[in-house]
Amino acid sequence: MEITIKIFRYDPEKDVRGHYETYVVEGDENDRVLDVLELVKGKSDGTLAFRRSCAHGVCGSDAMRINGRNHLACKTLVRDVGANITVEPVLGLKVKKDLIVDMDPFFDNYKKMLPYMINESPLPADGRERLQSPEDRARFDETTKCILCAACTTSCPSYWANGEYYGPAAIVTAHRFIFDSRDEAAGERLQILAETDGVARCHTAYNCTEACPREIKITKAIGEVKMAMITGKLD
Amino acid sequence: MTTKRTLSIKQRGLTNFEAVMWIFTRLSALAIYGLILVGLIGALIMGARNQMNFADVMRWAFMPNVTHVQSTDLQDLNPWASPFWKLTASALLLVAVAHGVHGLVVIADDYIAGAGARKFIRFLSIVMMISMSGIGLYLIWTS
Repeated sequence: MEITIKIFRYDPEKDVRGHYETYVVEGDENDRVLDVLELVKGKSDGTLAFRRSCAHGVCGSDAMRINGRNHLACKTLVRDVGANITVEPVLGLKVKKDLIVDMDPFFDNYKKMLPYMINESPLPADGRERLQSPEDRARFDETTKCILCAACTTSCPSYWANGEYYGPAAIVTAHRFIFDSRDEAAGERLQILAETDGVARCHTAYNCTEACPREIKITKAIGEVKMAMITGKLD
Repeated sequence: MTTKRTLSIKQRGLTNFEAVMWIFTRLSALAIYGLILVGLIGALIMGARNQMNFADVMRWAFMPNVTHVQSTDLQDLNPWASPFWKLTASALLLVAVAHGVHGLVVIADDYIAGAGARKFIRFLSIVMMISMSGIGLYLIWTS
């Protein structure tokens, strides 16, 4: 089948602002949008720049706007979006080239959440791992699925308006550790999220939940963090 | 077995002004509903059912000030001008102005990232809140 793909193009060495270029390629309805981009890059225009790595929805490199909505190109089939496809970089982060955006502000916010286990207590008597019950593990299971693709944060209108907001992905990361019974720094993370650019910036637009390629219920997770802040209960 | 973990107010950052105001905005919305209900029920008890139309009852409920019922068929306006209603109106005014102005600050914070600009907007908001509350209280207690 013939697939028409319109792609946002921007070369910082030549262009003042971005523009769109349209390519027509021969493909299959079961192709992924990433396959179509590879076809364009391989056969039509080798200068096209986009991120990709595992190509199987695990690494989170290829989040982009496909027909106006954030998706992973490697998880989006042509048959689901139609033969006329528009591909653009995600919003809210500066475009470096074509579909590649500057992810530094996103990862800066991620780092602010102390995204690592903090436990200063002595090791158990046997000197081995800190055990956790299946129930305690299940409490934060949902948010361990995050692959940091930024599809949620860059779909958030609060983040578009103000990039200082930590964003849904950072709060999901905080959620993963706040509700982990082995971690001892939930208070520190909640204090960070109580700041002006923390959870108060979330106005429950639900864009993040719809955009998440891992189907994490992000708005619900943010709501749980808000409740933990109000009640102090981490169960 | 699930481990029970609870953090104190200080531990979870609820002493932060931003977080306190975030909760205040939610609680004040509930308080506004409660005060409107007080005005509505009070109006019905004082005879609004037979002597006022729906629009006048609602105007009173949203701000229980005697000037809002002057042009109705009410025979005796004294109960409507009692200190209780002036206090209710004052509470509604103060809570609603604080709720609304803080809502505007939150919206402004959505678009303004600079610390200086945020401080300026906050200063303007405080000036607006104090002046609006002052004018409102003057009207309530002199009418």
